[in-house]
Amino acid sequence: MSRDAGHLPNLGGTEPGGPPAQLPRQRRGTTPQMRGRYPDYDLLEQASHWDEPTRRVVLDRVERVPPIRFFDEREVATLGCFCDLVMAQDTEPRIPVLAMVDEKLYEKRADGYRHVDMPPDPQAWREVARMLDAAAAERSAEGFATAERETQLRIIERFAAGELDWEGLPVSKAWGLVMRDILGAFYSHPWAWNEIGFGGPAYPRGYARLAAGQREHWESPPEFELDPVRDVNERGLE
Amino acid sequence: MRAKLARGLKGSVKPAGNDSSLLLDPDHPAAPRPEGMRHYACEEAVDMLIVGCGAGGATLAQRLARRGWRVVVLEAGPFWDPDSEWVSDEAGSHALYWSEQRLIGGSDPVELGKNNSGRGVGGSMVHFAGFAPRFHPSDFEVASRDGVAADWPISYEELRPHYERLEQELPVAGEHWPWGDPHRYPHSPHPVGGGALRIVAGAERCGVEMRVGPVAIANGSFGNRPHCIYRGLCLQGCKVGAKASPLVTHVPDALAHGVEIRADSMATRVEIDAAGRCTGVTYSHAGREHFQRAEAVAVAGYSIETPRLLLHSTSERFPNGLANGNDLVGRGVMVQGAPQIGGRFPEELRMYKAPPPEIASEQFYETDEGRGFARGFSIQTVGPLPIGWAEHVLADGHWGQALREYMRDYNHWYVIGALNELLPRAENRVTLAEETDANGMPVARMDYSQCENDRANIAFGKERMREIVRAAGAQDVLEIDRYAHLVGGCPMSDSAESGVVDSDQRAWEVPNLFVADGSVMPTQGSANPALTIMALSARLAERLAEKRLNPRSGHREAVGA
Repeated sequence: MSRDAGHLPNLGGTEPGGPPAQLPRQRRGTTPQMRGRYPDYDLLEQASHWDEPTRRVVLDRVERVPPIRFFDEREVATLGCFCDLVMAQDTEPRIPVLAMVDEKLYEKRADGYRHVDMPPDPQAWREVARMLDAAAAERSAEGFATAERETQLRIIERFAAGELDWEGLPVSKAWGLVMRDILGAFYSHPWAWNEIGFGGPAYPRGYARLAAGQREHWESPPEFELDPVRDVNERGLE
Repeated sequence: MRAKLARGLKGSVKPAGNDSSLLLDPDHPAAPRPEGMRHYACEEAVDMLIVGCGAGGATLAQRLARRGWRVVVLEAGPFWDPDSEWVSDEAGSHALYWSEQRLIGGSDPVELGKNNSGRGVGGSMVHFAGFAPRFHPSDFEVASRDGVAADWPISYEELRPHYERLEQELPVAGEHWPWGDPHRYPHSPHPVGGGALRIVAGAERCGVEMRVGPVAIANGSFGNRPHCIYRGLCLQGCKVGAKASPLVTHVPDALAHGVEIRADSMATRVEIDAAGRCTGVTYSHAGREHFQRAEAVAVAGYSIETPRLLLHSTSERFPNGLANGNDLVGRGVMVQGAPQIGGRFPEELRMYKAPPPEIASEQFYETDEGRGFARGFSIQTVGPLPIGWAEHVLADGHWGQALREYMRDYNHWYVIGALNELLPRAENRVTLAEETDANGMPVARMDYSQCENDRANIAFGKERMREIVRAAGAQDVLEIDRYAHLVGGCPMSDSAESGVVDSDQRAWEVPNLFVADGSVMPTQGSANPALTIMALSARLAERLAEKRLNPRSGHREAVGA
């Protein structure tokens, strides 16, 4: 454990572009890919301290993975692969990001705005799937899901930089839209909260220890710390 | 009633003229229940029909009801039961936001929804962070002082007594405030977290003074409202009942004085008679259309929905929308620039604890000619939760493994943000789109583009914040650009040619139509608007009730009266 931002991990990690090599395996509860800085922290153990409506909403994310009802099979293959890569979910257990997005689109839950030059959110998601497949086809792959990993990452890089072209879809805005939905799903999941050491719902109990370096009796200390700004640059992650 | 008050008496002294905090049930203090509410028949012409139950509408209703007016409030969203309907969860709080379709355009489009638009009784204050600063005296005269935008037709002095009373009613907690019109707060400052203390020290090294507050969160129990528990979910609705919103600060007292709040009722048209006076409002409830008669109408739907309703209320007399003879309805809509700078610190700061609003500085609020642009900004704290923080990391350009690595480091970061006063521009406006909603009403379109002064202000604010975060000991920084707080769109003015409403918020073109929300602001300052929206409504109610303004009379007589 180190509090020094200048302390760098062994470069290279488990594989190039992977998580830092010294990132602990999760010992208690679940994190996505079973890695995280707080290996003995399982926020779900605190669920009995939450109010009932909150408990229901949070536990449903773990216990009730919604069925796919909005996307078709091909879209699921393409977008499932895309979601895994943009969230670096390379192994199980995975947070079911695409199923959560699918539910939002199926239930027509909107965010309250649409850019004048963008199609409605559900259509924009389908267009993104077609755009990713077309970009893969240009590189001689059958579709995005079956393309080489390097090809997939190259396509996402261009998508993030606003460099892909797709008629009727302003690509930078489309990137913002799909990433907003993906991040909203991933970081609403208590497995992600375990990974980052978030205290989660604290009603009616509240928080009592607000000072730097303090934690509640039920919060865990990190076993690994690393300044991501330096790590990301040192290892050339992007 | 008396027994209920006695049972609930505890905590600090209650403000004059508002029993809300005592009327709440001590076992369910986060909202009153509408059972027992007075009901009016649609055919009965009530004294004031208000559209929207947020900061402006609820305050106006409470004040008028206290003076014996018969008041009905139409609210598009639900009458909340926080115990069962709100959750301590970021993603689970979507119902609090106005999420119906709206279109955004312009060169700097403003994302609407969770960041700036509320729905339901209590309005946007249900999910506002809680910062409740006053405007500065300079805000009311920026054209005279700084040569930009427009002066307000009223001065700071006219709002000051209402600020003072409202600060007791919310109540507002904070250190003595040295900026603008220096003043003190009724509740002492809240404790702050480790991140805020670091920023205070860093700012001091840069010659910048930060103060704790001002936040509309009771510090100590307040009537039947309990003390804050520092759970950090202010933007998700306060299940505790400690943070102020009209739902706990004005609605209970309004109900006790005979106001009817019709929830889930979406106003679609303000109707007028042959003489050009409002007769009432058509609204949709449970799929059916209704019409409520009224002697006067106050629209309080905020900067998008108020212009939308007026623009949609066309007639032979007002073919381009009600009170829109000069094509000014919807123009001058504003947002504040709200860039944020996150700093990475050696120790764990866990910024999800304590209310997001902790400390603020208004040192850069007014024009300083040396900076090369007019007006200024304030600096505040932000405290994003994981999804909000992930959006920041994305905005800084990260995804995949890098994003996960940044997010694993969440507990080491702390974030401050600016509120930059961006200037009103006529081409920034709300119009009606071709698309319609479920009621067949055209949806709103908001176009927004910054001017050079705006860009210079934001860039300067970011530079100052970077210095502070660095001086506070941050090892790395991350920044994103965003906006906050809608206001404007139906500006008040001193002449019928230059605005939509007069200094009493009465439409220049319709003698018994009022606008009672943030859309009347000609400029926005660098202060969060909630307290000023409430103060404007409190002043309006006082003027209406003191007969200085008689909605039953024509415009000219009233002004001369």
